[in-house]
Amino acid sequence: MPQRITIDPITRLEGHGKIEIFLNEAGDVERAFFQVPELRGFEKFCEGRPAEEMPRITPRICGVCPTAHHIASTKALDDLWKVEPPRAAKLLRELVYSAFMVEDHYIHFFFLGGPDFVVGPQAPAAERNILGVIAKVGLEVAGQVIRVRKECREVIQTLGGKVIHPVFGLPGGVSRGMSEEERERFLETAKFAVEFAQFALQLFDDVVLKNQAYVDLVLSDIYSHRTYYMGLVDEHNQVNFYDGNVRVVGPDGNEIARFAPREHVEPWSYVSFPYLKNVGWKGFVDGPESGVYRVAPLARLNVADRLATPLAQQAYERMYEVLGGKPAHATLAFHWARLVEALYAAERMRELLEDPEITSDAIRNVPTEIPHEGVGIVEAPRGTLIHHYQTDERGILTGVSLIVATNHNAAPIAMSVEKAARGLIKGGKVSDGLLNMVEMAFRAYDPCHACATHALPGQMPLEVLIRDAEGKVLAVLKQ
Amino acid sequence: MLGLGNPLLTDDGVGILVVQGAAAARCQRDDVTFAEASVGGLRLLDCLAGYERVIIVDAIQTRAGRPGDVHRLHPNDLPATTHSGSTHTLSLPDVLALGRGLGLALPEDRAIAIVAIEVEDALTFGEACTPAVAAAIPRAVEAVLAELEAGEQ
Repeated sequence: MPQRITIDPITRLEGHGKIEIFLNEAGDVERAFFQVPELRGFEKFCEGRPAEEMPRITPRICGVCPTAHHIASTKALDDLWKVEPPRAAKLLRELVYSAFMVEDHYIHFFFLGGPDFVVGPQAPAAERNILGVIAKVGLEVAGQVIRVRKECREVIQTLGGKVIHPVFGLPGGVSRGMSEEERERFLETAKFAVEFAQFALQLFDDVVLKNQAYVDLVLSDIYSHRTYYMGLVDEHNQVNFYDGNVRVVGPDGNEIARFAPREHVEPWSYVSFPYLKNVGWKGFVDGPESGVYRVAPLARLNVADRLATPLAQQAYERMYEVLGGKPAHATLAFHWARLVEALYAAERMRELLEDPEITSDAIRNVPTEIPHEGVGIVEAPRGTLIHHYQTDERGILTGVSLIVATNHNAAPIAMSVEKAARGLIKGGKVSDGLLNMVEMAFRAYDPCHACATHALPGQMPLEVLIRDAEGKVLAVLKQ
Repeated sequence: MLGLGNPLLTDDGVGILVVQGAAAARCQRDDVTFAEASVGGLRLLDCLAGYERVIIVDAIQTRAGRPGDVHRLHPNDLPATTHSGSTHTLSLPDVLALGRGLGLALPEDRAIAIVAIEVEDALTFGEACTPAVAAAIPRAVEAVLAELEAGEQ
């Protein structure tokens, strides 16, 4: 009989995410569910406020991706007032956004995803962390990770106008331009970020791809789902984090939808598991008959035809060569896609900074239209982020809905955990190593569960509860 | 002095209000930085690096606590784990351990004080604290100022 372990949850401030895995009589996995806590009353809180406050309110929703909310919100205001920002303003917004993608992707890879591969999926938990990574790759690398993140943050802070929570986005532009001196300094940052991104991909090559066991793990069926994918692309079907059209491709890679954000928007109701309406909800299953779709790094690369920058394009081609073509369905390849995207973002920073117009003084067009409704979409590090506002003729909010990345990925996360658990947990036998391998199935997505903005009470855990056929807790997996 | 929390989630941002109160009372000081942040986990490192001493003021919910209770804590009082499933889930001791392992200049454990205010509601959007928590703010300001003085002796 498996030992029953019950851990009394620590008290916590903001609720916690929960994954529950139910075993059947034989101790094999029957079902798995993914649940995130919900903050209450956001819409009501926003209603009655001037819409232009939203770029300063929404970054407070999440302690992890404030920049993504700020930019999505700013774009929703452009759309609300039907005002087109000058080109320099768009360049500046995209620069800040690219710097944010670089630093955020490295947090995930080096601190969260990397340990599973660099230290080992079944290594003791005490070693499976960034310090274990450093022990393997050397302290010098740690210094580089810190440097690239620090310099990218300086770009965000200088241009964004405030530490952590940017405030520079205005309907029709930005509040601050860039000096020539800043341009030169940030160009050095961009060049370093490109070098570092190449190094990080090389590291992935050396550590993961040269180890056949890891390649097998990445490609194994237990970490694979043939789903639809969604992400933003530009007019040439290249990945774009800041702007573009939404493209959806099927499990075979064929485009099934491509639309401008405004075209398909209706007032959303909050559903736990969004799905493609035209395909339909068939439950937590994959395949072409199921409307389940995925977002975030691998999904973005899957929906695009190519990347817009040369080095990233090479890395992109190599990735699909190894993964056996596009679209790739291997959930663990989200980590690889993240590194390819970080290279793209770094190259994009360099391109933007080399554009002479980026130091232009023409950074804002003042809105003159009467507002009614606006939608803003960006690709947040963890997937497509949608802000949708409705106002009266004075610009006072009457309706607000947001769809965040983890909403889109909620069904696939549950499916991925269930499939990994089914493949790994047999006859009720669970070990720490196996549980970590189940956890790897959701870590690849980096799910948001409510919003961690605290040092206390210590952690904001995502718990995995494994229950037997009677519903008794057999094991708790907790960070 | 670093106030943490989300000022838009009812009681959640009480730490920030307390730091603002302390800053107002000690505004002539130029050797103390009064800061606020709505971040957690690894991004806390970015706020702490380079300081000799830090007083963190944050909201908390404990099993036996009553809203408005003011707790004085130390990083060692918090559960530690270096294992993390997402960017949302690193505790303060973890963050400090990782930061030191990475070679960042961080305050030593004994130079880190935590003042935590027991809260009632941290999940509902709202800009005002619940009454018991609001009433505790002056006491908490006293507590953090006392903490500041104590560390100076």
